Amino acid sequence: MISLLSTLAPLLCGGLLAATGAGKLFGRQVARQAAGTVLVRLLGDGRRAARALRCVGAAELAVAAGLLAAPRAVASCGAAAVLGAGFLGYLGYAKATAPRSSCGCTAGEEGPIGWRSFTRAALVVAAGLAAPAADGTWWSAPAGRPVASAVLVLLAAAVLVVLFGGVDRLWLLPLRRARLRVFGHPLGGPAAGAPVAASVELLERSLAWQAASAVVRSGLLDHWDEDGWRILRYAGVHEGGQGARPVNVLFALDLAATVDNTPRPAVRVTVVDDATDEVVQVPLPTAAPRTLLPLAEPA
Amino acid sequence: MACGSTSLWAGESTWFCCGSAWGPCGSAGTGACGTCQSSRAQAAWPNASQACFDITRPDLCGENIPRRGCGSVMNVRHQCSGATVCVTISDCGPRTKSFCGEATCCNGACRTNRVIDLTPAAFSAIGNLDSGMLPVYIYE
Amino acid sequence: MNTGHQHGRSGDRRGFDRRRFLTRAALGGATVVGASALGGLDAEAAFAEPMPSLDPAIARSTFAEGRISRVNGSVLEVKGSYGEQHLVQLTNATSVWKLRPTTADAIKPGDGLYARGVDMPDGTIAADAVWVNIVNILCTIRGIAKDRLHLSHGRHAVVGHLHAAHTTASYLGGAQTADLSRLRIGQSAQILGAWRPEDDGIDVARVTAGH
Repeated sequence: MISLLSTLAPLLCGGLLAATGAGKLFGRQVARQAAGTVLVRLLGDGRRAARALRCVGAAELAVAAGLLAAPRAVASCGAAAVLGAGFLGYLGYAKATAPRSSCGCTAGEEGPIGWRSFTRAALVVAAGLAAPAADGTWWSAPAGRPVASAVLVLLAAAVLVVLFGGVDRLWLLPLRRARLRVFGHPLGGPAAGAPVAASVELLERSLAWQAASAVVRSGLLDHWDEDGWRILRYAGVHEGGQGARPVNVLFALDLAATVDNTPRPAVRVTVVDDATDEVVQVPLPTAAPRTLLPLAEPA
Repeated sequence: MACGSTSLWAGESTWFCCGSAWGPCGSAGTGACGTCQSSRAQAAWPNASQACFDITRPDLCGENIPRRGCGSVMNVRHQCSGATVCVTISDCGPRTKSFCGEATCCNGACRTNRVIDLTPAAFSAIGNLDSGMLPVYIYE
Repeated sequence: MNTGHQHGRSGDRRGFDRRRFLTRAALGGATVVGASALGGLDAEAAFAEPMPSLDPAIARSTFAEGRISRVNGSVLEVKGSYGEQHLVQLTNATSVWKLRPTTADAIKPGDGLYARGVDMPDGTIAADAVWVNIVNILCTIRGIAKDRLHLSHGRHAVVGHLHAAHTTASYLGGAQTADLSRLRIGQSAQILGAWRPEDDGIDVARVTAGH
């Protein structure tokens, strides 16, 4: 099996390099692709980076042609190993100096350099080193062991597909969908109570928010639940007769109310002076008389 | 061009980042108009050009949104609070078709479909960024 | 009582008393806004009218954006994405959002920031609200696991980390809920969350699911 693999290695490696090389040399998006790579910083500007990327693409195509045409020639195998080692060095440098840069390796893939890029480069090196040890040429191998050759080529092709992030949707998404169907949805169902974010959402779409918008300045500062109420605290500035003074704006909502079950909530609004803790009378459009609510004594 | 007060459209507004900023924004670039920056009061409009319209497709949600190109100026008003911000169209968005029928309401009065995307500077001027979405009136 | 924030032991006590006081203020004698009497406002008619001139306090605010280069006491040194520098002053009236409403202690150098505030005469910005690492991106759900979502944003793969206590979902404009079980692979989703500078992932605060 090992010898068959080394015999077929030039075919697989040549195919890989031909695909990535053609993408770089002829791809229409190469300029955009190059812009995200560390090459821009190395070479000074995006145009040079794109040109460098196209040159690498041409080199990959040349090596691919060499591997496919003369699979056992030391020159083509050596060139593949050197090219792969170069890729590894480039990836290592990019990962170390600009972790957010993209690889530029294939036309269909962007985003930070990951294990796929390193694995591809390592496979090129491995193929370059293994090819000279082959028993024959890749086109003579199927004649001797047709089934094994076909299986191996298919397996290798599957590995290469996994190594190209751009074609995930062909295999990974169906696999994940199937997993959800078989094992069920991993995320929890309805939980008791409304999340704080739901209370904030309800408040910010209420008349109370409209009434208090001239006073409120901050985002949500603090929140807590007590006696079936959810209290939301904001900071604001009240510009009254004695000039502007910092205030706390308190909103009290029903703990379970959300925009789904209470489209028009009644919200209690209180403005408290931040320095003196006095309740500040701010004219708000009121729709119900004020009532004193019972509050449980502390335990 | 000054921000006007003639009603143009109404719907939901989200926010997005653009320009050479931090995080996932770094890959967003300066948008369809080449001028978009998170720190300026700017917006994305779903019919900024034909190419833009072909991506956002508000018509699939029944929104016959008029063309307003790069550089157009609009007043965007938070339906619940009345807070208003003047923005310049600098990008293409939001992708209306992906959220057809979504509604955001103020005290029972609802706005349907995403019709404008604001930069953080513009959105935070009329609401809180962690709210994510606001119902708005748009004037020009 | 459900505590929203972390405090030390004495801070707990003070926070508890303070909250109890504020709760009494919030419930006793508060103005009730939003009962049905005011609900009949015709929003459509209001929109058709020329825009009323309004002067909300918020419109006079200023805005800053950038990466935090240094945290100097209550002052954040922020390097803007276009080379500008901001000094953002935090006060006890400044709201801080980082995945959830939190305190200034959660802010670290290297974090991204959006701030709304007021320009001060000394050149600093007195912040009313800061949002740390907040992102709001349109993604497609590519995978669902127990503690994370696999997302694609444009052509980039992004990992969205889920937090049982903080992550909510909203389905086509419905109220936010802790129920994430209706998310599907292939769905468009707006992800609001906190970017993680260390691994470029996102801690998800809210998934708004579309079609």
